Amino acid sequence: MGKVSYMKLKGSQNLRQRLLLSTLASTPILIEDIRADATWPGLLPHEVSFLRLLETISDDCHVEINETGTKLKYKPGIVMGGGYLEHDCGLSRSIGYFLEPLIVLGLFGKKPLSIKLKGITNDPKDPSVDTFRSTTLPLLKRFGVPSEGLELKIESRGVAPKGGGEVTLSVPIVHNSLKAVTWTDEGMVKRIRGISFSTRVSVQFENTMIHAARGIFNRLLPDVHIFTDHKAGAQAGNSPGYGISLVAETTSGCFISVDTTNSYARGDNDDNEMDVDEKKELMPPEEVGEQIASLLLGEIEQGGVIDSSHQGLLFLLCALCPQDVSKIRVGKLVPYGIETLRNIRDFLGVKFVIKPDPTTGTVMLKCIGCGLTNLSRKLS
Amino acid sequence: MERSQKSHRSRQSGPSAKKKSDTDKKKRGLTDDKKRDPSTDKKKRDLTDDKKRNPKAFAFNSTVKAKRLQSRASEKEQRRLHIPTIDRNTGEPAPYVIVVHGPPQVGKSLLIKSLIKHYTKHNIPDVRGPITIVSGKQRRLQFVECPNDINGMIDAAKFADLALLLIDGSYGFEMETFEFLNIMQVHGFPKVMGVLTHLDKFKDVKKLKKTKQRLKHRFWTEIYDGAKLFYLSGLIHGKYVKREVHNLARFISVMKFHPLSWRTNHPYILVDRFEDVTPPDKVSTNKKCDRNVTLYGYLRGCNMKKGTKVHIAGVGDYNVAGVTGLPDPCPLPSAAKKKGLRDKEKLFYAPMSGLGDLLYDKDAVYININDHFVQFSKKDDEDDGSGARDVGADLVKSLQNTKYSVDEKLNNSFINLFSQKSGKITNGDENNSIEPMEEANTVGSDEESEDEEDVDDSDEDNNPHEKSTDSQKVKDNIQEEVEIHEGRRRRKAVFGNESELDDQEATDEDDDEEEDNDSDDDQNSSEEEEEEEEEDLEGNASKWKESLIERTISRKSINLMQLVYGKSETKPDASSHEEIDANGSDDDEFFKPKGEGNKKSSEGVEGNMVNTEDSSKFTNFANVKDWKDGETIESIRDRFVTGDWSKAARRVEGADVDGENDDDAPVFGEFEDLETGEKNEGDKTEPDSVAEERRLKKLALHDDDNNKKIKSNNNKANEVSYIDKLKEEAELQRQRNIAELEDLDEATRLEIEGHRTGTYLRLEIHNVPYEMIDHFDPCHPLLIGGIGLTEENVGYMQARFKRHRWHKKVLKTKDPIIVSIGWRRYQTLPIYAIEDINGRHRMLKYTPEHMHCLAMFWGPLAPPNTGIVAVQNLSNSQASFRITATAVVLEFNHSAKIVKKLKLVGEPCKIYKKTALIKKMFTSDLEVARFEGASIRTVSGIRGQVKKVGKIELGNKPKKMGGKVEEGIARCTFEDKILMSDIVFLRAWTQVDVPCFYNPLTTALQPRGDTWRGVRTVAELRREYNVPIPDNKDSHYKRIERPLKKFNPVVVPKSLQSSLPFRSKPKDVKTKKDGRAVVPEPHERDVHKLVQHLQLIRHNKMKQQKVKKMEKKKKYDVEKAKEEVVTKKRQREERRERFRSQDKLQKKMRRD
Repeated sequence: MGKVSYMKLKGSQNLRQRLLLSTLASTPILIEDIRADATWPGLLPHEVSFLRLLETISDDCHVEINETGTKLKYKPGIVMGGGYLEHDCGLSRSIGYFLEPLIVLGLFGKKPLSIKLKGITNDPKDPSVDTFRSTTLPLLKRFGVPSEGLELKIESRGVAPKGGGEVTLSVPIVHNSLKAVTWTDEGMVKRIRGISFSTRVSVQFENTMIHAARGIFNRLLPDVHIFTDHKAGAQAGNSPGYGISLVAETTSGCFISVDTTNSYARGDNDDNEMDVDEKKELMPPEEVGEQIASLLLGEIEQGGVIDSSHQGLLFLLCALCPQDVSKIRVGKLVPYGIETLRNIRDFLGVKFVIKPDPTTGTVMLKCIGCGLTNLSRKLS
Repeated sequence: MERSQKSHRSRQSGPSAKKKSDTDKKKRGLTDDKKRDPSTDKKKRDLTDDKKRNPKAFAFNSTVKAKRLQSRASEKEQRRLHIPTIDRNTGEPAPYVIVVHGPPQVGKSLLIKSLIKHYTKHNIPDVRGPITIVSGKQRRLQFVECPNDINGMIDAAKFADLALLLIDGSYGFEMETFEFLNIMQVHGFPKVMGVLTHLDKFKDVKKLKKTKQRLKHRFWTEIYDGAKLFYLSGLIHGKYVKREVHNLARFISVMKFHPLSWRTNHPYILVDRFEDVTPPDKVSTNKKCDRNVTLYGYLRGCNMKKGTKVHIAGVGDYNVAGVTGLPDPCPLPSAAKKKGLRDKEKLFYAPMSGLGDLLYDKDAVYININDHFVQFSKKDDEDDGSGARDVGADLVKSLQNTKYSVDEKLNNSFINLFSQKSGKITNGDENNSIEPMEEANTVGSDEESEDEEDVDDSDEDNNPHEKSTDSQKVKDNIQEEVEIHEGRRRRKAVFGNESELDDQEATDEDDDEEEDNDSDDDQNSSEEEEEEEEEDLEGNASKWKESLIERTISRKSINLMQLVYGKSETKPDASSHEEIDANGSDDDEFFKPKGEGNKKSSEGVEGNMVNTEDSSKFTNFANVKDWKDGETIESIRDRFVTGDWSKAARRVEGADVDGENDDDAPVFGEFEDLETGEKNEGDKTEPDSVAEERRLKKLALHDDDNNKKIKSNNNKANEVSYIDKLKEEAELQRQRNIAELEDLDEATRLEIEGHRTGTYLRLEIHNVPYEMIDHFDPCHPLLIGGIGLTEENVGYMQARFKRHRWHKKVLKTKDPIIVSIGWRRYQTLPIYAIEDINGRHRMLKYTPEHMHCLAMFWGPLAPPNTGIVAVQNLSNSQASFRITATAVVLEFNHSAKIVKKLKLVGEPCKIYKKTALIKKMFTSDLEVARFEGASIRTVSGIRGQVKKVGKIELGNKPKKMGGKVEEGIARCTFEDKILMSDIVFLRAWTQVDVPCFYNPLTTALQPRGDTWRGVRTVAELRREYNVPIPDNKDSHYKRIERPLKKFNPVVVPKSLQSSLPFRSKPKDVKTKKDGRAVVPEPHERDVHKLVQHLQLIRHNKMKQQKVKKMEKKKKYDVEKAKEEVVTKKRQREERRERFRSQDKLQKKMRRD
């Protein structure tokens, strides 16, 4: 009875996804060689923080890490969910890093999840909280997730290096299972919306960014509105920074989004580095605006019903559907998406049929879901 | 209609009523073309007639009543509705399983035999194991006899599509029937039909009719009113009456089977063929070594994906070492225009029974070959072809020629396989598949020839050569049997043949499929992988060129898949799982190809992604185009609403041919050429599939519309109801599934959706205990169930639990019970609990008498809403009802939170005003600290609170200095001063641990006749070891003795007295003697004396009178008693006489 068969994995890549899938499929995993050869071996602070987060939301999950942190044994428990939870995400990665797996986990919990996450809200590495609100949550609704109770509230913003942001995420549970989608119609972009923010800097930065971005869009579409969200005081967090998140909405209800944030890089490790960073100038807001607008156009050009950073989530949701065929169209497969596909195959045994559509340069994916139902839900 | 003057009660039932209704009908000119049962229909018809004739009488008078009726009607309607489920089965359904169940000696096997005879015109000598037959053009049936023990019944209830409950009419219902019904009810209720047998034992027609009626109604109460109960009137020539069997078969053929939720979510297989495929030398060295077995059967339930774990009922959980789809041994007739089945198509398949020419024994298979009938399909015959015949001939020849020992052969065979394979494959598939087969033949040939002699008497001719040719005349299936002539020991021959069969079936399929098959072979798998590696390495070698080209052509569509998933068929679940406690199988380790370790990482596009950063965002700032440029902007103009809408529409359709191929995939250089190579094909297929899909959707909608129309006519509801919408959605999704899957090639499809339901599968399972082989009994069907994602984990489960009302005792917490959940059966120790109003789960020592309670137990998890049957006693000898309880899983947890009451009792050791020091409640200061703030109470009801640990100064001083300080004294405060005699108690809750114990029932690993023994209850143990029940004196119920409390008189202090009002002041009340003596006068004294004398006299007199009276009374009593005896005697006599005469009179009357 004490026998537990662990799935053996190697390396630190996709740790989040592995842990997420392991929890969903309730497969214990054993990861070895986590940055064994790196200068700073073992798990990084944000990874440990993610493990802690898993412990808070689930019941009876076992995490064992060896002394150097290069080996991790994880035995998943049952996702309990619940309200009034709190988690400090630390400063090494932004909240987006934690949100991505959390929204999926929350769906398959015992009770609806409501958790307050503290840390960095906007960060160039991970999708920002604005993008979550504008794109990710509507994406979930496509899969039959009830819209009431699905919410992300930004209490205060915080950017690197010192953070200080706070968001509240609430995710409802799915009562039985998700719904398979056939989502191939990408439609045409009918409007572009966006939100820019600035913390501890002048509003002028935002206006400049918006102006620059609009300059590019104006030749394509008149319906462009970018809102400003200037935070001050306690709501502005601890560090100065500014950023922007843009969403293009198509006629068929697809959301394609990009975002970026500009702030001083973190230099917690060395004081010397800190000085170097301080000297480095931030990218001027005009350039930020132009760049982000170009990125959005690039994403639109690629096609697909979702932007490249949401591919992984989309694949995962398709794989979690009941045993029906889901069909989706995405732009170019990105490395993260491919890794997701592989992980899905390993954990859930779901394989996708991947067919390039040469005329549009998009890729069509088909799969039969693994038929995951919300097992942790209590029968009333 | 004329009415007689006299009030007449017309007959409600019976022949006269029937006659009347018939005449009525004739009068009205109605003809009953559909001959319905008049008794059930009569009332309804009458009512409608009356309504027609006198509508006013049936108009509603009260609006309230009408409203109520309406709401009730709609409520009933709603109750009928079910949430539509998507039917995910495509293609031919697997044969429906018909379980024939009944108590012993009721005629189960005879019924199966009669039915088989009816369907196939064959007599079968024995019913052992499932028997598959083709019953119609669209339908196959599989008959299974339910074994008589409770384990067999539980398993049978899990796979039955229809249960025929045989009931001995002459005896009535027996417990088995009810037990089986209860089991079925819990595990999803399949269709049930009762069959009454032994009706020929009734001589009296009326009695027979009455019995039928009675049994029918009893049956109805158990299932539902109107449940079908079939009557088999008796035997003719030792068989049931042909006509009745025919009718029963008709009932079976029109039966509709509803999907049951557990089964539609789990794949399962009812094993109809079972082989031991352990290498013979392994068995010969150690008879008790773990065996490898192959199990065959139709896949039911849902699709089975690769890597699914399975549970073999009565054995345990296993990883499937190999799954192969086999050609259907009992296929449906191919689209015949004819009505009914031709005799050639009336196939049957029952490898476990001694059916026709096959007889499976414990250690051998006997083959009867009669050339006057050929019982397998013609199609297979043709498939067999000349190639197979040669193979068969080769096989037998090689059998005769062997001279080497088994070990040698085995070794040789492996070496040969390694070195020769790569060379030989080029010659063609044929050669490749024969290769392992020959080896197999040689392996056990010596034993085979010995066996031949054993079989002599059963076979017509001894010459094995001739025999083999004979067997070839029969189809390849039989040929398989020849090869496993040795019994279950011989495996490889079966393999070779099967893989060959597959090859013949799928020669035109691409290599991938074939590789799949091969890799399923037991030890070959790893070596095969290596071979594949080789393929990849020397892809340019000339030998390989042709096949490679073929492959690329066939695989063009999945090229991108290859990029993502890699070429090799790595099975991560099976190979990379490792048991922490158990060491992995040696074979796998040994045959690990060299490059496998790092293959996985290198197979992808990004080779070294082992430690890359984990970020979903993929922004390529370097590659940003200059969007200020007019041309670049124009290139995506059509992606915006401001652009060309028609172009965009075409883009969605995928019909845009000119396409801008400008996207230079920077990440995947490989994309480009694939796409260009793909283009033509893609263009062709895409619109087709789209059109197809649309067509199907339309079709589905059309179907739905029709249904709706019919429905709306019935219900006069025009608006689309919610349930209709759901139905429509489900149907759409179904059509979509079919459409999307149809345009995939077989190999990809298998990969994507797994083996489809209805296919005949061969599962190979390794390391099964040898007992399974030793104690295998075909009469006990084997059930293999697929295990879902979380179901292999163990944890605590909470179930809503109810003791069965026929079980005689309540159940005790922690007494072991055997539960059947999902596919599994295991013994576990439940803790019963009940939920209090505040959500607390309070432990119960015993289950409530008639109520539901919660049961918490540890075991392999089952999803919520799964039914549970609990049994305590598995033995067949038990007369009473064996089902102990039924339950349903509510949720599962990894931690159980059940509490029970805990009362801590203490007594004061020192009392201050309202504070007291309480001792004996806690044992240590730490404990006191834990309970700080807890509320306490005295018996007299004075409430209080624990404050802190009692300090030493506060009365807790050691008696002598240097003595030990007593620990665990708590300072508590109360709302009033307590007494030293008060008992103080603290009410608390303490956690109860659910024992982490479960014991899978391994009934298949022991002789089937034995009763499985698991953990015994405490009571059983006590009985067995003669241990008395522990007797706690304190627990005895004794009379409570409360000595009268004596209170001291109240003393009011003097100072207080003075200030009291007069009324409250204590007063000196002299009640009696004031102390002075009374001296009477002499006269007075005389008078007093006289009076005293008189009193004395009177007193004496009275006494005497009383004594006299008593004496008199005594006498009287004696007399009376005497008289009474006499009168009683007389009365009895009289009564006797009277009754006697009455009786006589009656008898006389009766005689007259």
